[in-house]
Amino acid sequence: MKAAFYSLTSCEGCLTTLITNLGPNLEALWRIFDIDYFKLVREPVGGEKVPRVDIAFVEGAVVTSQDRKRIAQIRANSSFVVALGTCASCGNIAYSASRGVDLKRRRLREIEVFEAEPLSSHVNVDFELSGCPVSAEEFTEALLRLLNGIEPKQPDFSVCYECKMRGNRCLLEVGKACLGPLAMGGCGAACPSVGAPCYSCRGPAVEADLTAYLKTIRRHGIPEERALSAVRAFTGKKILGLLKDGKG
Amino acid sequence: MGRDEGMRESGNGNPADGKGSGTVSEVILDTNELRLIEGHGRLKVRLSGNRIEAEFHNLEGPRFLTSYLRGKPAEMAPLVASRICGMCYTAHSINAAEAVEEALGVTPDGDVVELRRLLYLANNLRSHMMHLLFLSVPPIKGLISVFRLREKDLVAAGTRLLSTSTQLIEHWGGRSVHVPNVVVGGFGALVRGRELMESISRLESLRGDARKFVEHVLEMELPELERFRTMISLKADAYPTYAREAPLIINDGSTVTDEEYVNDLEEVVKEYSTSKHVYFRGSEATVGALSRIMLNRRRLNPEARDYAERIEWRINPFLMIKAQAVEVMHYLEEIVEAGERLSDATISPNGYPCVGNGKERRADPCFSDRSGKGIAIAEAPRGTLCHACEIEGGLIKDYRVYTPTAVNSKSIEMDSVELVKRFRPLGGEKLKYVLEDLVRCYDPCLSCAVSLDFLSDR
Repeated sequence: MKAAFYSLTSCEGCLTTLITNLGPNLEALWRIFDIDYFKLVREPVGGEKVPRVDIAFVEGAVVTSQDRKRIAQIRANSSFVVALGTCASCGNIAYSASRGVDLKRRRLREIEVFEAEPLSSHVNVDFELSGCPVSAEEFTEALLRLLNGIEPKQPDFSVCYECKMRGNRCLLEVGKACLGPLAMGGCGAACPSVGAPCYSCRGPAVEADLTAYLKTIRRHGIPEERALSAVRAFTGKKILGLLKDGKG
Repeated sequence: MGRDEGMRESGNGNPADGKGSGTVSEVILDTNELRLIEGHGRLKVRLSGNRIEAEFHNLEGPRFLTSYLRGKPAEMAPLVASRICGMCYTAHSINAAEAVEEALGVTPDGDVVELRRLLYLANNLRSHMMHLLFLSVPPIKGLISVFRLREKDLVAAGTRLLSTSTQLIEHWGGRSVHVPNVVVGGFGALVRGRELMESISRLESLRGDARKFVEHVLEMELPELERFRTMISLKADAYPTYAREAPLIINDGSTVTDEEYVNDLEEVVKEYSTSKHVYFRGSEATVGALSRIMLNRRRLNPEARDYAERIEWRINPFLMIKAQAVEVMHYLEEIVEAGERLSDATISPNGYPCVGNGKERRADPCFSDRSGKGIAIAEAPRGTLCHACEIEGGLIKDYRVYTPTAVNSKSIEMDSVELVKRFRPLGGEKLKYVLEDLVRCYDPCLSCAVSLDFLSDR
């Protein structure tokens, strides 16, 4: 089997998470796969050429002309494409941040900049592993499933659910615009567990219900526009579906 | 305070390679996409007439994080700034918290500052280990990956240091990457010094690993490329990492305040790079581990100082990796020492303002009526990192980040020219590898640098 790990426009925090958190299992990946391309870990075989692989893991959003070319080549050469992290699955902060910027004001010699998009805006993505950054445990689970011919799955519960499991005090009750009820879980409620409100960095949960959420925060006296501005931060392109459902 | 250089051709799409701004030039060396660096970059060396010129291209796409912050509540700054970089995220979130605090007139108490310093140290240690182990040491030895190193015990030692420093960050920060526990005003969750001691003693037990690793790096043979230039580092009572209100020292012996430093920085747009280059007083300056060691090595901790004395420090960019190795030992010693001081501390949670009618409001600061300007400067892994912000009525009006890589870009280009001049007889193919090694020694982070994207104002 062949695998590859690519990086488009991102902070490369997803790949560094895998590198530091997989520990000795990082090297073990080489016992399972031939890996010709692994950004930050090895010099790629064949330089900038995109190798033909069975599974491609891609972190980052599609922003530049080079990203566009690269993701098309990756799709053409890979049997299974996994979006790694929120930039790749939703577009992350860059999705909203790049809108409303005059991208034509200045041009560079060799590279063109476009509005940020998740991978799925350009190519078919077979599986999305969300998170800013991704969790090494979820990566391992998805990988083991793929190797055994079982379909990998995304967490089907919200951050709120995990937060309750950890016995945390509800942040909505203390007036913080926490997005836990709307957000896809799997992070172990990392932020609310240290008293910071959830910003839904993994995109919306399957059960996300914006109408009910807005009703709840009104009851707690949290301004609606504040929560909505928080939703817009990380959810990227997936905000569109959420807003549509909320109004519908 | 910015300028466009060679943007005359802008709007022409892609003018043919080899045509600079007017004169005919020929590309004599092109690394293509640089391997084993953070982000996407490329280095081209041109010959125009008798002059050799180098271009350090940042090809990483901008994510417009700093412009996104405009108009957002002040307390969002650490959270968003963290996403600038997946290697020195803690530096960005702590600098952001501090810049915002200064603008809002919030003074965190001593234990908060001390614990932030510990997080900073742990992140610098992690980043250095990542850079040395994965990105710079293997290619200098001519290897394609860390896993090809013959010294397996060295790889194991390095990996242990890397994962233990990551665990420290995870323990205190709430997550290993993009830590949520750093918030404006202090920490989001209760932190007990005693709980930290366990992870600190685990790090302490790795002193032998650190020695093995550091000695290995210090014994490596590196090319000679001495060239004088301005070098800058923070100057504090102790070896500088994170220090509030410390001045900066320049290698001519003078010092500047943080405000003077920011005023002397100039952003320059290059037609080949998605990130602006940052000039200091109209020219180049080098920041990073080598600058810190050269300007502050008397303040290193004992064992690190002994290591530092083995090396004859000169302004040779290749020595940056040896400087990082010395710092690995210093950071380890510093974390252990700071841990002893913090073992009895308990830091209660504070931070985010309450906006609702929650019955049990904590004494959270409320920022909605505050305005001001703030600057935070610290020594991030790759060098002097500066965040500057302006806040009006609790909302961010302007946010600027001057990253070490943006400052070092000019030096990377000038060193590349020097390298080509001195080592040209090696021939193009070999030279390309040495050029790549040179760029990597700076530990450039292109995701960081692109936060000063070519489209941002000024």
